[in-house]
Amino acid sequence: MTEPIRSVVIAGGGTAGWMAAAALSKALPPERLKITLVESEEIGIVGVGEATIPIIQLFNQLLNIDEDEFVRATKGTFKLGIEFVDWLRPGHRYFHPFGRFGDDFGVTPFHQQWLRARAFGYPVPLGDFSLNTVAALQGRFQRASADSSPVFNTFGHAYHFDASLYAKFLRGYAEAHGVERIEGKIAEVNLRADDGHIESLGLEDGRTLDGEFFIDCTGFRALLIGKALGVGYEDWSAYLPCDRALAVPTERVADPLPYTRSTARSAGWQWRIPLQHRTGNGYVYCSRFISDEDARTELLANLDAPPLADPRPLRFVTGRREESWRKNCVSLGLASGFLEPLESTSIHLIQTGITKLASLFPDRGFDPAVIREYNRQAREEAESIRDFLVLHYHATERSGHPFWDYCRTMPVPDTLAYKLELFRSSGRYPELGYDLFKLTSWVAVMIGQGIDPQAFDPMVDSVAPRDADRVLSGMRAVIAQAAQQMPSHQQFIDRHCRAADAPAHTQAMKMEV
Amino acid sequence: MSGEAIQSVLIVGGGTAGWMTAAALARAFPHRSLRITLVESEEIGIVGVGEATVPILQQLNRFLGVDEREFLKATHGTYKLGIEFREWGQQGTHFFHGFGDYGPLIQGMQPHQHWLKLRELGDRSPIDDYSMPSAMARRGRFAIPPATAQNPAISFNYAFHFDASLYGRFLRSCAEALGVERVEGKIVDVPLHPESGSIDHVTLADGRELSADLFVDCSGFRGLLIEQALETGYDDWRHWLPCDSAIAVGSEVTSAPTPFTRSTAQRAGWQWRIPLQHRVGNGHVYSSAFISDDEAADTLLENLESKPIGEPRLLRFTAGRRKKMWNKNCVAVGLAAGFMEPLESTSIQLIQSAAVRLIDYFPRRGFDSVAIDEYNRVTANEHERIRDFLIAHYCLSQRTDHDFWKECAASAVPDTLKHKIELFAATGKVPLYSEESYQEPSWVAILLGNGVLPKSYHPFVDYIPTDELRRMFRERRGELVRAAESMPTHEAFIERFCLAQAA
Repeated sequence: MTEPIRSVVIAGGGTAGWMAAAALSKALPPERLKITLVESEEIGIVGVGEATIPIIQLFNQLLNIDEDEFVRATKGTFKLGIEFVDWLRPGHRYFHPFGRFGDDFGVTPFHQQWLRARAFGYPVPLGDFSLNTVAALQGRFQRASADSSPVFNTFGHAYHFDASLYAKFLRGYAEAHGVERIEGKIAEVNLRADDGHIESLGLEDGRTLDGEFFIDCTGFRALLIGKALGVGYEDWSAYLPCDRALAVPTERVADPLPYTRSTARSAGWQWRIPLQHRTGNGYVYCSRFISDEDARTELLANLDAPPLADPRPLRFVTGRREESWRKNCVSLGLASGFLEPLESTSIHLIQTGITKLASLFPDRGFDPAVIREYNRQAREEAESIRDFLVLHYHATERSGHPFWDYCRTMPVPDTLAYKLELFRSSGRYPELGYDLFKLTSWVAVMIGQGIDPQAFDPMVDSVAPRDADRVLSGMRAVIAQAAQQMPSHQQFIDRHCRAADAPAHTQAMKMEV
Repeated sequence: MSGEAIQSVLIVGGGTAGWMTAAALARAFPHRSLRITLVESEEIGIVGVGEATVPILQQLNRFLGVDEREFLKATHGTYKLGIEFREWGQQGTHFFHGFGDYGPLIQGMQPHQHWLKLRELGDRSPIDDYSMPSAMARRGRFAIPPATAQNPAISFNYAFHFDASLYGRFLRSCAEALGVERVEGKIVDVPLHPESGSIDHVTLADGRELSADLFVDCSGFRGLLIEQALETGYDDWRHWLPCDSAIAVGSEVTSAPTPFTRSTAQRAGWQWRIPLQHRVGNGHVYSSAFISDDEAADTLLENLESKPIGEPRLLRFTAGRRKKMWNKNCVAVGLAAGFMEPLESTSIQLIQSAAVRLIDYFPRRGFDSVAIDEYNRVTANEHERIRDFLIAHYCLSQRTDHDFWKECAASAVPDTLKHKIELFAATGKVPLYSEESYQEPSWVAILLGNGVLPKSYHPFVDYIPTDELRRMFRERRGELVRAAESMPTHEAFIERFCLAQAA
């Protein structure tokens, strides 16, 4: 017989808390599941997650959120991928697209055909076979629809948005679906004597919040899962040594680009995220190799417009909670771990955490098999993302800076070493268990970071080189033409989803070089 | 580029594994850009227990450009919608593992979750009532599913039953048409290269020597190359899968062919029934530790529905897998790579996926060890996931009538399977790992069928009002019956499209 959970308490607002509240409120009506979210206006949200990856569309669909309405409410823009500048070496750039390269032909994946063509002197860069890349670098965007040309099957997009507006947007949704918000600061977490489960949260003003199931969205502090339940933290800073960030918004100077830019700096990297009304910037760095003051100077020297505020400091330790779920408490967002924003995975991890939670939603028995399965999936997912991030730092030719010398020579996780070895030998990529980033992403970043396969797949030879060149040239032309027919990103926003107080087309697109 | 291209492949052994690998490689390397030779001996019979398949064989047919109906005509084949299990779990029970699901997702959830709720409320309709392949099988109907899902409620897939020796012949003609050269001969020696320890060549009884850049061992259980020459080693799984023998015999056709395989549990194993156009294939898989070969043969013959054709054939095997399916310059495919009993008809599937994976990881003459490791890792996972699926058929048995079943229920199972069963028992969810051949609906069929009833259903099911849920399920039952009854009988379908000349 089932003993359903009747009440959930979410500790902490912010992106994690409100995403969880919105999703759960959609899954069950309030008379079946009472959802309470406690947050304090005194505690700010971290909200570094201003950029997303395409899977966020699934979350919006689940909630029946209209894309245009959502982009308008969050002053968002569209994101076709990430441009990496100076990562391999100063002066080098490559693009990680959120859509596939070309089309597979013969019995091998596309990139294998490209590898052979390149080995025989075919001069066209990989990016020319990605509609996402070509459109992004021309500042164009178009939504794929049912009657789009087939080349749009390779096209994908995500968003940039204002994280605090996103939390507000989700709060509106959740409250409309019966979630109760309580203003208050958590003073203590009370455990049941017999089994050590969380019984209630004590607030500073003396109120007590009882619940059957608790979701810890308290950020780095991990008040419930860490402090109260004592779940430890697995430190990954040997692989991902950056531990601080400075974030600063700047004025909008041009039409927003439809992609994030990440530029390598002396002891880390700088992000640039264009929104409708401003640009988000930040420097993620490693305090062992640069002082806060020098980092601040380096960041301010590399802005393309005047800052709108003082840079806001953040501290973190990359890693993950040893168990994302223990007893009657599951952690989401920063409470469950932190992977730096290099590939915009923070919001994604919240989303998959919620998806996993929805799929394995417990009853009051909290069966150990459920918790074990949730933690197994969470671990596989976090480790695959960790490997992908480490790849960016490790596979570099940058030298001279102590930070990059460390990254280039550090030992990497065995799973990543294995992936690198296989790709280097034959351009193949192994899927090890659950992997968020698929072949295209790994290929884009491996090639972008200069991992050159020593051989291509012999099966490529089943297509004659001349035929392959003809197919490649045809694909490239189709992609170029499809990109050309798209409106500019700003035109698209103006037509569909411009926020009322955001500027329309500012000036001719200024492409930075 | 490091390593020159492989110029030649020698496949050792015909049979399903040899000829399927030959045909697939020849198709992947068009214009005879790879020299493929297959050596086999007419003196050595093929095992050919694999008379039933799973749906993925359709993909191979498409890859080879095989016309499905011609293929069924040539192999005296029939269609297969799944497997009916009788007496498993408990005596007197039966259930169907169909090639399909229990309906589209409802509110993003597998419909068996909703079924669990209705059951808790007293609805006793079996889960099979919501399976399209089951509805068809029960009525002896068959039709090809529409290419695009016009109605997602009516979704099913299909596989085939066929005569394995005719299938070997059929694949041979495909392979030879694609340029594979067949050499008749018996291998007497497999000398290794003195330095590398790789296979240097094979020597035939008449003294001929055949060498190649790459060797594919399809010599069956013996593993002539992979084991006898390279001494690769074998992981024995008999403590999990205790059956080690099979007796097979054909019988006369006396009724319309069923569009499904039947598997009936016996006192120390189980018996298969596979309907072909011209005969019925039967076999008894058992553990020789619990009954003698004579007893096993008696059981088989007693349970035939019609007169046997020929003498029963005895087979011995050891469940398990080769420690490395690819070792140095030799890849083992088929029984040389590992053996699992035909309970879910996975032998031919494993041959097919090995051949496709060999194409994916096709080497150069340098034999890059990382690529070989990856081939072995993925292949081992695939075998182990199927192994778990088969063990689940045995370990959940509640039969107490014979020691064999009591021992199956008492044996420890792999941790991966233990976790699956525990999670399902708690929530009705099935955790899936990498390289799973069977997705959630298949696991649900076996776990529910063998009597694991989850303690609770998914809480979000309650979002749908109970009356509404009852109506949806009642309608689905009716819809499946109507859809099945509008289809031709399996027999009529075969007669119309793929009747063999002689049948």
